[in-house]
Amino acid sequence: MMALKLLWRSWRGGQLGLIFGSLVMAVVVVTSVALLADRVERALVKESSNFLAADAQVRSSREMPSQWLVEAYDRGVMTAEMALFASMVYSGDYNHLASVKAVQDNYPLRGVLTLSETPFATKPEQFQQVDHGPPPGEAWVDSRLLPLLNMNLGDRLDVGEVSLRATRVIVEEPDRGGSFSLFGARVLMNWEDLAASGVIQPGSRVNYRLLLAAGDDDLADYLSWLEPQLAVHDRLLSPDEAQAGLTETLAQGRRFLLLAGSLGVVLAGIALALASRHFAVGQTATVALLKSWGVSARRVRALYWQQTLWLGLAGSLLGLALGWVIHEVLIVLVRELLPVNLPAPGWRPWLTGLATGLLCLLGFALPALWHLPALSPLVVLRRDMPVQLVGAIRRLLIGVVVVAAMLLWYSQSLAMTLAVLGGLALTAATVMGPGWLLLRLLRHLGNRAGSVWRLALGNLWRRRVQSLVLLAGFASAMAILMTLVMIRTSLLEEWRWQLAEDAPNHFLVNVAPHELAGVEKLLADNQLQSVGWYAMVRGRITLIDGQPPSEELVDSNEALRRELNLSWSSQLPEGNVVEWGAWWDQLGDFSGRYGENVAPVSIEQDLAEEIGVTLGSRLTFNVGGLTFEGLVTSIRSLNWDTMTPNFYILFPEGYLEKFPRIFMTSLYLPQDQKPFVNELLREYPTVLVIELDMVIDRIRTMVSQVTHGLELMTLLILGCGVLVMLSAVKLSMGERLQESAILRTLGSTGRRILAVQSLEFGALGALSGLLAASGAELALFLLQRRMFEAPFELHWALWACGPLLGALLVGALGVLYTRQSVTRPPLQVLSGL
Amino acid sequence: MIEASHISKEVATSAGTLRILDDVNLKVDDGEALAIVGPSGSGKSTLLGILAGLDLPSAGQVRINSEDITAMDEEGRAAMRARYVGFVFQSFQLLPSLTALENVALPLELRGDAHALETARRFLERVGLDARWHHYPRQLSGGEQQRVALARAFASQPKILFADEPTGNLDTVTGETINNLLFQLNREAGTTLILVTHERVLASRCHRRVELQAGRLVHSEAAMPVNS
Ligand SMILES: Nc1ncnc2c1ncn2[C@@H]1O[C@H](COP(=O)(O)OP(=O)(O)OP(=O)(O)O)[C@@H](O)[C@H]1O
Ligand SMILES: [Mg+2]
Repeated sequence: MMALKLLWRSWRGGQLGLIFGSLVMAVVVVTSVALLADRVERALVKESSNFLAADAQVRSSREMPSQWLVEAYDRGVMTAEMALFASMVYSGDYNHLASVKAVQDNYPLRGVLTLSETPFATKPEQFQQVDHGPPPGEAWVDSRLLPLLNMNLGDRLDVGEVSLRATRVIVEEPDRGGSFSLFGARVLMNWEDLAASGVIQPGSRVNYRLLLAAGDDDLADYLSWLEPQLAVHDRLLSPDEAQAGLTETLAQGRRFLLLAGSLGVVLAGIALALASRHFAVGQTATVALLKSWGVSARRVRALYWQQTLWLGLAGSLLGLALGWVIHEVLIVLVRELLPVNLPAPGWRPWLTGLATGLLCLLGFALPALWHLPALSPLVVLRRDMPVQLVGAIRRLLIGVVVVAAMLLWYSQSLAMTLAVLGGLALTAATVMGPGWLLLRLLRHLGNRAGSVWRLALGNLWRRRVQSLVLLAGFASAMAILMTLVMIRTSLLEEWRWQLAEDAPNHFLVNVAPHELAGVEKLLADNQLQSVGWYAMVRGRITLIDGQPPSEELVDSNEALRRELNLSWSSQLPEGNVVEWGAWWDQLGDFSGRYGENVAPVSIEQDLAEEIGVTLGSRLTFNVGGLTFEGLVTSIRSLNWDTMTPNFYILFPEGYLEKFPRIFMTSLYLPQDQKPFVNELLREYPTVLVIELDMVIDRIRTMVSQVTHGLELMTLLILGCGVLVMLSAVKLSMGERLQESAILRTLGSTGRRILAVQSLEFGALGALSGLLAASGAELALFLLQRRMFEAPFELHWALWACGPLLGALLVGALGVLYTRQSVTRPPLQVLSGL
Repeated sequence: MIEASHISKEVATSAGTLRILDDVNLKVDDGEALAIVGPSGSGKSTLLGILAGLDLPSAGQVRINSEDITAMDEEGRAAMRARYVGFVFQSFQLLPSLTALENVALPLELRGDAHALETARRFLERVGLDARWHHYPRQLSGGEQQRVALARAFASQPKILFADEPTGNLDTVTGETINNLLFQLNREAGTTLILVTHERVLASRCHRRVELQAGRLVHSEAAMPVNS
C-alpha cells in the first residue's frame, strides 16, 4: 500500500510519465506484432490441416483415368474430382476473366467451405459453413466478382454455354490459402455443369485434381497402388508436402515483423533507461530521507521493487490493450493479404507482451534504481556525497542481455537472436560513428561562427553522449520510415514509368496452330497489333545430368513440378543477354555433335541457379511422353520490363518442330477496346488471356497495403525514437534550467536562449535527418538492385526533406519540451536548487 | 541518555586529511535541552549527524540508552533511529513532489500510522500553516518550508530531537512560536532536544550550551534553566 502511495505521488509529480510511456510503447509494439502474427498463423495452420480439402490429392493436366476412381471405390477411399481453369464469365455487358473451379457434390472431403449471403461479409455471424459444393445450376462466387460484373446475388452469370445463378459468396475455401490471388475472382460451380459449358476443349489449360480421403491404412494401401501408375505430369500431394512451403513463409513473415518490433523495443528500452536514470536522481533525496528516519535498506528495496512491479503491471496492461487496438488497425490496413476469417489469438501474444513489459523494467529501469537501497542516509546532510551507481558499462550489458533474452523468446532461435543483435549493434555503430564526427565538425564550425551558434553547437558537443543516443534513435527510425515512403511512392512510380504508355498489357497464350490464322485476322479486324507470335512446346525437365532431381529440389522449385514452355529461335531474342557460354551462331555446326538426338539448350540464369544447372549440364526433357536430351550451351539473362514473351528455355531451330506446338503473343489493348477479349474468347474459348494490367494493379495494391502496414509499425518506432529524445533531454533538464537562469540573470534575453536551444535541437535534428537519408538511400539502392533491377538513382527528395524534417521535428519537440527554462523566472530556478 | 566519548572525525580531501571533529566528549540526559553553538564550519552539523547515528565517527563511541550505536551496522543504526530519533535538517529536506501535508505525514505513514493525515494536519496547525497544507514546497517561502520541516519532526514525536538551525530562516515572531513549540515538546513529552543555533535567545533557553571551535569542544556551561 505504501508503495502504491509513493508511486501515485511520483506519478502526480510527473516523474513517471516517460518511464510509463516508454514501457507502454515497448509493450504495444511487441503485442501488436505478436497478436497479428499469432492470428494469421492460427488461420493458416487451421487452413493447412485441410489445405488439400482432402487427405491427399493428385494434380494433373489431364482428366483422371476412370480406373483410379473405380479402384478407390473398391478400396473404400472417398474421391471427389475437380477442375480449375481460367475462363471469361459474363453477366449482361460485363465480363471478367475468372478462376473457375468445378467440383463434385462431396467437395470438400476435409474441412469446410465458409459462405455468406452478404457480399463482403466480415462478421462471423454472417458466415455459414457447409461441407458440400454448389448444386448444379448454381455458382458460388468471390464477393469481388459482383461489382466487377455489376450484378447482385441471385442474378445469373454465364460460363461458356451454361448460365448459372450466383447464390452465395465465398468467404473461405479450405484449399485456397488467403483470399489474395493475382488471378481472377473465384467462381465455384458444379462438376456436372462443366461438360455443358463447353469451355474445356482439347488443348485447354486445365488443372485437374482428384481429392482422396480415407482411414490411414486404406489410404496408404490405395496410394501404394496408385503411385506406380502416375505419369510425369501427375503429382501426388500429401498434407505434409502442402505445409512445407507454408511453414517457411510463416517463419519469414514472423522474422520480418520481429525485426521491426525489436528495434522499437530497443529504442523504448533506451528511453526507459534514461528516464529511469532521471527518476533515480530525483529519488535520491527521498531515499536518504527515509533512511534518516530509520527505514531499513530491506524495506527501501521492497518499496522500490513493489513500485516497479505495479508500474510494470499497469504499463503492460495498458500496452496490451493499446497493442490490441494497433493490431486491429494493422489488420484493416493489410486486409487483402489476410484470410477473412481470423481466429481469436491464443494466450501466447499476451504473455509475450506482458513479459516484454516486465523484462524491460528489469533490464532497463531496475539497474538505474539498484543503488537506492544501499544509499547512505548521510546524503541528506551532504549533497556532495558520492552515490554508488551501477556503472554505465554494467547497465549497458544488462540491457543487452535482456534484449537478447527477449529476442530469444520471440524467435526461439539462437542464430536469429545473434543476427538481430549484430544488426542492431551495426546500426548503432554506423549511426554513432559518423554522428560523432559530424558533431565534432559542427563544433569546429561553431567556434568560428557567431556566439549563438557557438553556444548551441558547443552544447551539443558537451552533451555528446546524449546527442549520440538521440541521433541513433531518431536516425534509425527515420531511415526506415523514409525507405518505406520512398518504396511506395517513388519506386512504384519509377516502375510504372519504365512501362511505356503502349507497352503490351495482355498476353494471349495457348493458341493452337489451327487457330492462329483466325486469331490474327481478328486482331487485324480490330486494328490491334501483336508483338509477333512465339511458338512453344509444353514439356518438363525429368532428369538433370541423368539423375532425377532430389525431392528437396522438386519441392522448392515450381519449375521442376510443372510443364514448362519450351521454345526455339535462331536469333537471340531482344532484351536477352548471353551471360555465360555462346549463342548458337558461335557454336559452329553442332548438328549431331553432342550425340544422337542431343540438342544444345539455352537456359535463363536464375532458373539455372535454382535447379543447380551450369554450362555443360545435361537436361532430359519429356514432351508428351517422348524424351530427349539437351546440353546447356548458354545461360541468358532476360529483361522482363519489355512485357514481350520471355522463355526460360530456348532451343535452336530444328529440334522441337516435330512436337505439337501452341502459340503465344502479347499485345497492347487500349482500355476502351477491352470488349475485344470477350469477342476473342467467344470464338476461341481455349485461348488463355492474361490481363497484365490487372495483375500489375493487384501487385500495386498489395505492395501499397504492405507498406501502409509497415508504415504504421514505423510510426510506432518513430514514437519510441521521440521517447528516447524526450528522456535524453529530461536528463539534462536540470542543467539546462540552471544555465538558462544564470544566463538570464547575467542579462541574456529569453529570446536569445530560445534561439540557442532551437539551434541546438535543430542542428541535432538535421544531423539525424542527414544520417537517416543516407541510410534510406543505401536501403533503396539495395532494394532497387535486388528487387526492381533498376539502375541506381539518387533520391534528391530524401536529402532535401530528411534534414529539414528532422530539424523541424526535433527542434520543435526539443524547444517545446525545454521551454520552461526560459519561461520560469530565474530566481525560482536558482532558489529551487 | 546520549553519551559521546572521544569522538573525532576525519575526512580525506585532495589537500590531505581534514580533521573536522577532535576528541569531543559529551553527555546529554533524558529530557535535557542542549544547544551547540560555534562559528560556521566549526563542525556542528557533523557532530549532530554523528550523535543521531546518521554518520560514523572516525574514532570514539556514541551510546544511546547505553547501546553503542557506533558498533552497530547500518541496519542496526536504522532501527535505533526509527525508535528514538527525529531530525530537523539545516536544508529542510522537503520532498518537492509532495504537498506540505504529505511531507509531514510521510514518516507516520511509513510507520503504518492509520491516522497519519490527521496527526499531520494537527501539527501543521501548531506551526501556523494549516491553511497551506495542500501547497507544494516550491509554493512556500523558506521560512514556511522550515516550519513544515519542524512539523514533520514533531509529528513523529521522537524521544530525541536533533535540530540544525531550526529558526535560522524565520523572523523573530515566528521564530519565537517555533521556539515555544520546541520547548513545549521538551517539557510535555520529555523529549531530549539537541539544537544547533546561532541565536543567543534560543541558546539561552536551553538547559546547557556547548561551544565548538575548529572541531573542539571549548566551552560548556549551564544556561539559565527555563522557567515554566
Ligand atoms: N565529507 C566531507 N568532506 C570534506 N569536508 C567536509 C566533509 N564533511 C564536513 N566537511 C567540512 O567540515 C567542516 C565542518 O562542517 P559542518 O557542516 O559540520 O560545519 P557547521 O559547523 O555545521 O557549519 P555551518 O554553521 O555553516 O552550518 C566544513 O568546513 C566542511 O566543509
Ligand atoms: Mg551546519
